[in-house]
Amino acid sequence: MISKKEMRLKTYILMFVVLSLLASVQVQQARAAESKEYQIKAAFLYNFIQFVEWPKEKAADSNQPIIIGIIGRDPFGNVFESLKNKKIKGKSVIIKRFKPYEELKINGVLESTSDELKNCHVLFICSSENRNINQIIDIVKTSSVLTVGETHYFLENGGIINFELEEKKVRFAINLDAANTAKLKISSQLLRLAKRVVQEKKQTKKADK
Amino acid sequence: MAIPRFQDITIKNKLTAIIMLTSVTALLMGLGAFITWEYFDIKKNMVESLSTHASIIADNTKAAVVYENADDAKEMLSALRAAPSIIHARICTEDNNTLAIFNKDPNDASVHLLQIKKEGYNFTRDSLNLQKNIMLDNEKIGTIYLKSDLSNIKHGVTRTATIGGIIAAIIIFVTFLVSSKLQKIISGPILSLAGVAKDVSEHKDYSTRALKQSNDEVGQLIDAFNEMLYEIQERDLELTHLNEKLEQRVKERTADLMNANKKLEKLNRELEQTVEKLTAANIELADFAHIAAHDLKAPLRAIGSLAGMIVEDYRDKLDENGQKQLNLLTQRTERMSSLINGILKYSEVGQLSNGQEQVDLNQVVEDTILNIAPPENIEIKVENTLPTIISERTHMLQLFQNLLSNAIKYMDKPQGLVKIGCVEEDDFWKFYVSDNGPGIEEKYYDRIFTIFQTLKRRDEVEGTGIGLTMVKKIVTLYNGKIWVESKVGHGSTFFFTLPKQKKEAKKHAKLQTNIVG
Repeated sequence: MISKKEMRLKTYILMFVVLSLLASVQVQQARAAESKEYQIKAAFLYNFIQFVEWPKEKAADSNQPIIIGIIGRDPFGNVFESLKNKKIKGKSVIIKRFKPYEELKINGVLESTSDELKNCHVLFICSSENRNINQIIDIVKTSSVLTVGETHYFLENGGIINFELEEKKVRFAINLDAANTAKLKISSQLLRLAKRVVQEKKQTKKADK
Repeated sequence: MAIPRFQDITIKNKLTAIIMLTSVTALLMGLGAFITWEYFDIKKNMVESLSTHASIIADNTKAAVVYENADDAKEMLSALRAAPSIIHARICTEDNNTLAIFNKDPNDASVHLLQIKKEGYNFTRDSLNLQKNIMLDNEKIGTIYLKSDLSNIKHGVTRTATIGGIIAAIIIFVTFLVSSKLQKIISGPILSLAGVAKDVSEHKDYSTRALKQSNDEVGQLIDAFNEMLYEIQERDLELTHLNEKLEQRVKERTADLMNANKKLEKLNRELEQTVEKLTAANIELADFAHIAAHDLKAPLRAIGSLAGMIVEDYRDKLDENGQKQLNLLTQRTERMSSLINGILKYSEVGQLSNGQEQVDLNQVVEDTILNIAPPENIEIKVENTLPTIISERTHMLQLFQNLLSNAIKYMDKPQGLVKIGCVEEDDFWKFYVSDNGPGIEEKYYDRIFTIFQTLKRRDEVEGTGIGLTMVKKIVTLYNGKIWVESKVGHGSTFFFTLPKQKKEAKKHAKLQTNIVG
């Protein structure tokens, strides 16, 4: 009898081990995929700068670096390391990381951080800020900051460019109204590539392929 | 029809041909240059146009390349459908993966190999290939390849050649019209000059003049030609003049000649008449001599017989003086008789009978010697064989008899030698009879052949003075000649010729007719 129980126990243990092993493999694979995805997103982010024109006061002189801000829990890891020395439009690029909105609010540094946020040329709002998107966008929406997100309804919340996955491929959608509000000119080439473009009630959706 | 050589065609056509050839050459060269220029221009334009296309696409596909959006790139490329010459286009990413391909002919799925390794272009046999980098922010992010066919060049060159050809044809036509009008400026005077020259040579009318139309070389030529014509005309005139003079002189001469001829004819007639009269008189004379001699013979014979009878019957009754005179009478009568005989023989010689025959002169000479019976102190020697000739035997006998008897008669040497011989010449025989007698003085050479002439007194040597005359008459009758060579005291040689057979016969016949006439 006892042996039967032992047997059953052994079997469970074995199953657990096997399952946990399998699970660990899957997690590793998922992580690898995730890393690849953010590599692409980082490149996309960099290249957006090429196809977006900032107003004169924000473009400034060539000595000023282009600032890419990342707010929230950073999913990029160290991908930007490889892009560190790359210059865009003859300017160097600086990556600035901000604490999640909630944390800033709790710490009471929201006011002081707001200016820094407004200073950014590009602001990537991480999915961790899903609940505070409206508030963050409200801060920067008139300061010619290209807001980029990766959550549902990002554009509907006033974001300008949103990464959207399509059949495991990274694509993006653009809210032209929001861009206009931010006085940013987005190249027609980029617009053509967008999966969809949101503009004054009417929404253009590119034919999916 | 044979194509005439260029040298042989008329100046008019030559000029037109030269002008046409020159302008056509220039035109073709121009056309060739223009087509060549057009060819390179089209090529250049093609490169520029293709390069522009490439630039536009490169510019517009930056984002598509960066974001590797094949659909968008493809859509951009599909705009190339508007450019008919582009047959293939391709966009590659920086790591040379093909992002989008455009083929003008969708069925043409064949992979178009692009040989260019760096930015630029090249021409292959049937295409123009161009490669352009797609740059983003001074960085190469991809490449665009374009391939164009060369139909543009073909069409362009064809079009240029067609238009050029049509223009050239029009120009050539107009040039032909203009040149065929303008060549008259040069060919006109030359042709008119040629026409005048032809006219002159055909009609020999040297009064014609070529019309001078210009002061150039042709004008000078026409001047020279006219001057030449003038000179020819002058000479022609002079010649005509001379000719007329000459004709006049010829006429005069002819008239003179005619006159002379008439005179001559008249003279001739007179002469003929005289000859006729003379011949008649001659014959009459000969007849008279013959008749007279013949008639004198009978009384003379009577006188002779009577004298003889007197001598016989009255010899004793006559004194010596009477006898002497009677003897003289007999002698004179005999001389008279021999004279009359001689005259008879002489007159008979002129009358040739038809008794012509082959006469062997050796025989004749032999008979003659026998007949004469020369004295012992005289030797007659025939030095070579004599020929046989056609003649009257009597004549030949008389000939040799007279000559031989003459030689014997006058022989004054104690040992006389008479030689007879003959030498054959080209168309006659030359005979000789030579003696070593007294010889004859040169002044008598002609006289001895005259009738009744003797060099010695009749009393010294009995001679009638007829013998040599008869010899001459016979020789002359046979168309021969007779002459004498002599050295006084040493002897004489009588030469005479007789023509050879055939000619002799002919002349003989002629002689006969003459004598009969």
